Amino acid sequence: MATLQGPSKSWQLKVYPIFTVLGWVLIGLSLIIGIFVLTPTAISYWAGNAKAARDAAEVGSALLGQLSTLAATPRWLEPLTFLGVASFMMGIALEFSAIPNMLKNRGQVLSICFPQIVQNPAE
Amino acid sequence: MAKVQIPDEKASFPFSMIEGMMPLYPLIAVMGWGFVLVSLLIGIFGLSPAVTTFFSDAKAVREAAAAGSAIVNANVTAHVLESWVPQFKFLGLGLGLLAIIMALGVIAKRLRGMGWVITGHIREDLRPKMPSIPRRVRYFQLSTLMGLMILIAALIIGIVLAVTVVPDYWSHSIANELNPAQPGSALLQQLETVSSFAKWLNPLRVTGMAFLFTAITIALTVIIGTLRNQAELLIGFYNRATSG
Repeated sequence: MATLQGPSKSWQLKVYPIFTVLGWVLIGLSLIIGIFVLTPTAISYWAGNAKAARDAAEVGSALLGQLSTLAATPRWLEPLTFLGVASFMMGIALEFSAIPNMLKNRGQVLSICFPQIVQNPAE
Repeated sequence: MAKVQIPDEKASFPFSMIEGMMPLYPLIAVMGWGFVLVSLLIGIFGLSPAVTTFFSDAKAVREAAAAGSAIVNANVTAHVLESWVPQFKFLGLGLGLLAIIMALGVIAKRLRGMGWVITGHIREDLRPKMPSIPRRVRYFQLSTLMGLMILIAALIIGIVLAVTVVPDYWSHSIANELNPAQPGSALLQQLETVSSFAKWLNPLRVTGMAFLFTAITIALTVIIGTLRNQAELLIGFYNRATSG
């Protein structure tokens, strides 16, 4: 009599949730920074000051600080967001990579069970 | 050989709507691709010529151009397009992801159908009991709906901005009207919206994509779970059939 075993839990299925959670953390972080840091800074910088005041901002002034935040933050925030997207894709790829082994196991199980199904047919 | 009757497992609304859409995934994929293609065409034939027209003259001339002039109109066109086309493009990408989710849903459904067929051919006293539809199916469907709604909302916001505040603000002379605007003026209030919406709208649409990616992840766990369950059910049947 053949001994049948179900599919073993592959390492990919243990690791993929880490990437999915990481994807949410990175994208959530970029949303939070966008809503609570960049948007208020942009509103304060653009709406609260005339162009002449913005252009005349001195070194060390709050206005120049705001401009620096508005110009520099997106430079790293956007790659961070895309790292989040890449993390999701990594998780998905890991899940996909676990499927071929499961299909192989399923085929083996079915081929062994098939004679028993034929011998015990439904009425 | 007996023909196996696969039970019709109807879902309740709104899941029934999603399940009804699932076989349409090739059409949804083509539609998503079409959206991104349209964005490219708008870039080539709308945005690019507008920006070229705007930069066709010296800075002093561009900024002094009066409202209604070709340069100001080109500037308006460029900013209007930039406020809704990126949202449209992301909706196209979202539709591509939706097509993948729908295809995975169809695969999971077919796998379940296959399970019914195999167990249907087994003698009743040895027949394994089919497990109920996993709860995760509803989670991936909900995540899909959420992602799609966020992307549609982002597009609607983009369109609203494109027909209201964006053309209102940019259809002025830069040097004579926009630059001298003082704090508290209507123009600076419009500038507040025009300069800040992308700061929250861009991450919001990526959050919509995140929901769609999550839906793909969960849909895959449904397929993996179904394959595992079916192998285990068959093993259980084999052990019962051979022990007797």
